[in-house]
Amino acid sequence: MAKITVDGTEYETQEGRTILQALDELGILMNGVDIPHYCWHPKLSIDGSCRLCQVEIEGVPKLQIACNTPIKDGMEIRTQTAPVKEAREGVMELLLVNHPLDCPICDQAGECKLQDYAFEYGVEHSRSREPRRAGKKNVDFGPTITFDQERCILCRRCVRFCREVPGTGEIGVFGRGDHSALETFPGLELDNPYSMNVADICPVGALTTKDFRFKIRVWFLEDVPGICTGCSKGCNVWLGTANNKVYRYVPRRNDAVNETWVCDDGRMSYRHIGSADRLDRAMVRGELGVLEVTSVDDAVAAASERLRALVDAKGPGVVGAVASGHGTNEDLEAFVRLLDGLGVENRGLATVQGESDELLVQAEKAANGEGARKLGFGDAAGVLDRLNTGGLEALVVMGHDLLDAQHLGGIEGLERLDTLIVLDSHHSALERVAHVVLPARHAAEKAGHFTNHEGIVQAVAPAVEPAGEAVPEAEAFDRLAAALGVAGEDAA
Amino acid sequence: MVISEEARAAIDGEIARYPRKRGALLPALHLVQKELGHLSPEATREVAEIFELRPVEVMEVISFYNMFHARAGGRHHVYVCTNLPCSLRGARGLLKSLEAHLGIEAGETTSDGRITLDHEECLGACGYAPMLRVDETYHEDLDEARAKEILDALE
Repeated sequence: MAKITVDGTEYETQEGRTILQALDELGILMNGVDIPHYCWHPKLSIDGSCRLCQVEIEGVPKLQIACNTPIKDGMEIRTQTAPVKEAREGVMELLLVNHPLDCPICDQAGECKLQDYAFEYGVEHSRSREPRRAGKKNVDFGPTITFDQERCILCRRCVRFCREVPGTGEIGVFGRGDHSALETFPGLELDNPYSMNVADICPVGALTTKDFRFKIRVWFLEDVPGICTGCSKGCNVWLGTANNKVYRYVPRRNDAVNETWVCDDGRMSYRHIGSADRLDRAMVRGELGVLEVTSVDDAVAAASERLRALVDAKGPGVVGAVASGHGTNEDLEAFVRLLDGLGVENRGLATVQGESDELLVQAEKAANGEGARKLGFGDAAGVLDRLNTGGLEALVVMGHDLLDAQHLGGIEGLERLDTLIVLDSHHSALERVAHVVLPARHAAEKAGHFTNHEGIVQAVAPAVEPAGEAVPEAEAFDRLAAALGVAGEDAA
Repeated sequence: MVISEEARAAIDGEIARYPRKRGALLPALHLVQKELGHLSPEATREVAEIFELRPVEVMEVISFYNMFHARAGGRHHVYVCTNLPCSLRGARGLLKSLEAHLGIEAGETTSDGRITLDHEECLGACGYAPMLRVDETYHEDLDEARAKEILDALE
């Protein structure tokens, strides 16, 4: 352990850290101790190129960069003295010499470190009379990212990210001196499963995602903490919301789960929230044999009648249940209560397995498969075997992962059922054969908990209003249990 | 493979002289450029493979140094030093007159592929300013007439 003093306050910290690393670990960097920085990033190697984080150290004649100066026991650091402020002003002036100051048309405006620090530490007027260096605008870097060379301050965060995190290394700083420019290797695109993170770590508006470009000013967005539900990792994200719509996911730091990153597929999964294929009304198959829109109450009543008649006549053994890894622990617990109340034993879990990598992406493409397994839902294969051998007459299904080729591969076999009850947030082919369809909420529309692949339980809260009349699955199951007269005392 | 076996053997010889492999990157790039005339993306990829670096890292090195060419140039490279001492002795005017003489601008190659003309930072011959370099040869204490003669004599 080492004792350091920062602006008169003493802190205890681990040896072998640089000043910025130690302050970051203590949780006080830019949260009590303001040391502006561009090139340093807690999850990347140290570059030391922006020179903005200079601080005064007792006994050291010159200012030192806090990002790359190791702490020593007894070190006295001053971050707000006149020489420090003067140095920051000087660095800011240099960084702004060639900056186009096109904030009114720049997507980064409002979350731009250049703006923030210019406001805080900059000078009001430019002293340079020379024309600003012209650079390439709107450079197509690949499928996800657009580059603006004039805005780039050459901090190399993106360069280090591509080499150190996905390991692809498509980009580099070519040239020398004021000819230096960020470029891709000839013939290569910036194209990797994590490419859009470069837009998050770019402290200025040089790298922006094509998806979010010109969609909305960031100061209109309310950032709501949430979880990406694209796979069982459960990466922490901020949901940028406005007008009851989610405009983007950006990663939210959680060193135990996703550090400061999120994969591109997960990031783009925000589009499922308000998508055109949302199932937002309850439906019941009417006398004409087609699904008719109805109220959730009527749909619950219809489902209850069908299940009650079947269970009374043939017992719970002809009923099967397929849970989804997209429900919260609360949803799945309510499902368990309903099934226990009815005495249904044929339970399984259907999730889709896809590609995975060693960084974040997990094979299970659902946020809560682990939660479902912990609540007793095993693989759906047993239920499906029973279905295929004609042992089932009713099925209650959450979601539609069941339709994936890894499980049923389609609706064949389901049309024989006497009763098919579906709870889903999105339309699917299940509706062709379902008798009762209940609209479920997306994770961004409800409160609850997800258990990730490592068993870490994470809470979510509603970020936007639900689509149409969508209800949380937990509520739907509890209402169904109440209608069936099997609600236990602990049911909501 | 665009790098010949001979060049590859020479590169291995260079690598053996350094405690760490990448220390030999600059000599290797010189060897490859000498053989191929310039360092194409293909050549860069091959060098990167030899040195266990990413192509983009090798490209950063190539683009940093003026003496490496990422694009094909003429049969002869003519560099006019325009650093301070040479400029004080008229190097900028000399470069302009050579541009006019060849009908190209600095950085360009004559249409017959004979000469690539470029300006250069200090070549360490300040005592003999102004000067220019043709490939590996220095020509010093120049005036416009002498410089044009030198260029005209190039094959």
